Amino acid sequence: MGGDLLAEEEPSPTDTPQSMTEVFYEHFPYYLALGMTEWQYWHGDCTLVKHYREAEKIRNRKKNSEFHLQGMYIYEALVCVSPLLHAFAKKGTKAHPYTDKPYPLDKVEAKKYEEEKRKKEKARAREVFDAMVAALAARGLKEESEGIDD
Amino acid sequence: MAKQITLTHEGKTYVLEYTRKSIEQMERSGFRIEDITEKPITALPTLFAGAFLANERWTKRTVIDDIFDNIVNKTELIGKLAELYNEPLASMLEEPEEDEKNVGWEATF
Repeated sequence: MGGDLLAEEEPSPTDTPQSMTEVFYEHFPYYLALGMTEWQYWHGDCTLVKHYREAEKIRNRKKNSEFHLQGMYIYEALVCVSPLLHAFAKKGTKAHPYTDKPYPLDKVEAKKYEEEKRKKEKARAREVFDAMVAALAARGLKEESEGIDD
Repeated sequence: MAKQITLTHEGKTYVLEYTRKSIEQMERSGFRIEDITEKPITALPTLFAGAFLANERWTKRTVIDDIFDNIVNKTELIGKLAELYNEPLASMLEEPEEDEKNVGWEATF
């Protein structure tokens, strides 16, 4: 038992363990790249590095979301112009309208977005209804006048 | 927030802490953490004195040695000092992401 462990080769002189100083210098450029100052790294609160790493994770997540969002906009733009890209598209084919507002990023914004969309649809329905009423009224008046003429 | 040890000697309060710089200085002057077990008589006062480098740099060595000689609960203090000394390095180690393969452990002492 443990034969594998015992059979390990003798460590060569170059395998000497790293000193803490060597480890600190090895990681120093990484933390500088994360925005830590030289003073913070060497003289400041030694646990600060954890927070810098956490901040970097948040930054990366944010960047990832931005790229994803950008991809969504590009995808939507392609969908909108896709009718024009059709090789046998009929003459006069128009592109679909591109979103007039940015995508909502949180629940409050999404709710507001939905509310505005509903209001717009309501207003459009009202316009159609009013137009229909006006058309019916006009037809009624015309028929009436024709009746009087008869 | 980094771990610290606070002690009062002759009316003056000292805040003991290790930074990466103070550890670098200690190692440059020949200190090795392994010496605590190999040469405890010389290594422990050096470890204690090193904790003054970060915030109490100008404290004389004679004063530090006097504090060390008169300190109570020395064994517990040494344990805490070792923990303190390890912190600048430990804070650089990343905890593994939560995974089924993660190995848990517990001590019986």
